[in-house]
Amino acid sequence: MPARSLLDVDDLSPAELVAVLDRAVAFRDVLPPRDLLAGVPVLNLFFEASTRTATSFTLAEQRVGADVISFAPGASSLGKGETIADTALTLHGIGVRVIVVRHQESGFARRLADAFEGNVVNAGDGTHAHPTQALLDLMTLRQEFGHFDGLRVAIVGDILHSRVARSNIVGMRMLGIDVTLVGPPTLLPPEFARSGVRIERDLDAVLPRVDAVMMLRIQRERITGGLLASLDDYTQRYQLNRARLRSLGASAIILHPGPYNRGVELTDEVLDDPRSRYVAQVHNGVFVRMAVLDLLVNGAPVAA
Amino acid sequence: MKTLVRGGRLIDPLQGIDAVRDVLIENGFVAAIGEGLDASDARVVEAGGAIVAPGFIDMHVHLREPGQTHKETIASGTAAAVAGGFTAVACMPNTEPALDSAAIVSEVMRRADAAGLARVYPIGAITRARAGTEIAPYHLLADAGCVAFSDDGATPRDARLLRNAARYAADLAVTFISHCEDPDLKGDAVMNEGAASMRLGLDGAPGLGEDVIVARDLLIAADTGKTWHIAHVTTATSLDLIRWARGRGVRVTCEVTPHHLAFVDDRFDDYRADAKVNPPLRGVPDRDALRAGVLDGTIDVFATDHAPHGADEKAQLLSAAPVGFTGLEIAIGAFALALPRLPLARFVELLSVNPARILGVPGGTLAVGTPGDVTVFAEREWTVDARLFRSKGRNTPFDGMVLPRRAVATVVDGAVVFEHGQVLPREEAAV
Repeated sequence: MPARSLLDVDDLSPAELVAVLDRAVAFRDVLPPRDLLAGVPVLNLFFEASTRTATSFTLAEQRVGADVISFAPGASSLGKGETIADTALTLHGIGVRVIVVRHQESGFARRLADAFEGNVVNAGDGTHAHPTQALLDLMTLRQEFGHFDGLRVAIVGDILHSRVARSNIVGMRMLGIDVTLVGPPTLLPPEFARSGVRIERDLDAVLPRVDAVMMLRIQRERITGGLLASLDDYTQRYQLNRARLRSLGASAIILHPGPYNRGVELTDEVLDDPRSRYVAQVHNGVFVRMAVLDLLVNGAPVAA
Repeated sequence: MKTLVRGGRLIDPLQGIDAVRDVLIENGFVAAIGEGLDASDARVVEAGGAIVAPGFIDMHVHLREPGQTHKETIASGTAAAVAGGFTAVACMPNTEPALDSAAIVSEVMRRADAAGLARVYPIGAITRARAGTEIAPYHLLADAGCVAFSDDGATPRDARLLRNAARYAADLAVTFISHCEDPDLKGDAVMNEGAASMRLGLDGAPGLGEDVIVARDLLIAADTGKTWHIAHVTTATSLDLIRWARGRGVRVTCEVTPHHLAFVDDRFDDYRADAKVNPPLRGVPDRDALRAGVLDGTIDVFATDHAPHGADEKAQLLSAAPVGFTGLEIAIGAFALALPRLPLARFVELLSVNPARILGVPGGTLAVGTPGDVTVFAEREWTVDARLFRSKGRNTPFDGMVLPRRAVATVVDGAVVFEHGQVLPREEAAV
């Protein structure tokens, strides 16, 4: 049987997903001994620049006692000249047993996992998936509300280019969360609608109805691509700001995968708002990643 | 030299024949059609239980020579052709260098002749180097043997240039062929735009990118009076536009590939490039419209867009991997799989009669006095094993599938170049 990988949230069963979150909470409450992955060579292979995710994974790996190797090959070297299969064979030959990989192309983690005789953890592939981000978001939601079923969550912004949104949609649907996507049609095409996933264009109408709102980062290159008119035009309809904070429920929370663009998808007031959970999210990230590594390498103590 | 194709069910739509007949070929030309023809001195192809048709012509093939002979050569490509039941292929000009000069076209024809298998009809470039800036020397190219002009996958952006090209070539009885994909609408797409591309986080090309170029080129055809052929249509709207243009008197024909008839855009979940092709595999409504378009006569031609690549090239990341599938050796079975109820006479029209007419080349019938190019095929199930292809390219989404029809013998110029699973170059075949 090939080693397990986490390429998107639905590589876990719903029961496993909850077990990972339970384990992450246990790790957060009491740090485990640093021997869960004692001596296991883990390679952080980040083709695309990352500060938070790479740091978070590295800390998680160290806390479970892995032998950590970090390598940022840059966009053009590995995976282009050499075939993916050769890369995978080489890394396994060297002794690497777990690869945590980020790449700018959708599907890279899957291609690597199909060729690598070890565990692959997707730390973000193009616009496709970022499962550990979704898991830490789900952990933060459960921490807040104690349950998932029937929760109403809005994801706002550039859905089309967001691997965070895609993985959250997958995970939230697995857990019975009611998802509303909000954004302009160029960044949120109608094809995203499906069972349990609604599309809305009017953020003001959505905010009073949700338990959580996740604000996605807006990238300026969408303007030159003709997908957005201007930041002013975007913020007028989709920015979370002082005025819109008033229509968000008192018990609702605000999530952001980071990094922020202050003054674009949100304003400074949002970050100062007591409903903002950015710090809880990044804090939870380390424990979720420890739990994922433990599950993939050691197997899951899933309650039947 | 005599060759007798004996006892098969002859389907020759232009002669109105659908009956068991022998076909006798002498010195490269059909000498007689009848029952119980004399076989003395003749090389006999036993066709009992099989179907005999005028030679199949694949009017959309990439032979890769010159310039990319690691993918295919004229010899390997024409071996694949005859093994797949094709007596002739028209080769696209996206070689290196492009087929934009008489010297290169002549060299391609010389090498095809040396290979001694299928006939090869070069398609010249519309613009020099297919760069979309200067028109190619059509008269010289036609004199050298080009049967059509196309810039293939490099859809010209400049409508004025294309209009001038069509006007300049107006007095040549050689059709223009358009590969219709608007480069701006296509962008960096690796597949069709739709629910699947959105879910997978992959860049998708909308069907609109094809439709706007089909519309533009049909209007240029109407404006210039040039005959026009739309390569590999993939959308319902393209077919509607073609019907509209015909209603206005535009002389337009079109083709469809086996993969667009058989598959849809649900083959990318593994992020491999095995299903990456231009234009991309579309959704179910478009695929169904293509099938209907064959049955209602809108689509004139079955063509493969045979596009061989090295396995290592196709194994690259989805963004880097080249587009296309090898098609010559699966075509007969694949078209039959996609359209099992298509009458055999229509099948022969789409693979022989119509491509011969559109390209203005011999064939399309086995009337006495016409070239002795014969395709013999059978309603016989077989399992595709790409490792056994004569083509250097093994990249096909049909690999491993069971197909209901296959070529059993191929005769070119009276020589049996394929029989009993063996490819026999003309010189050897004649001995």
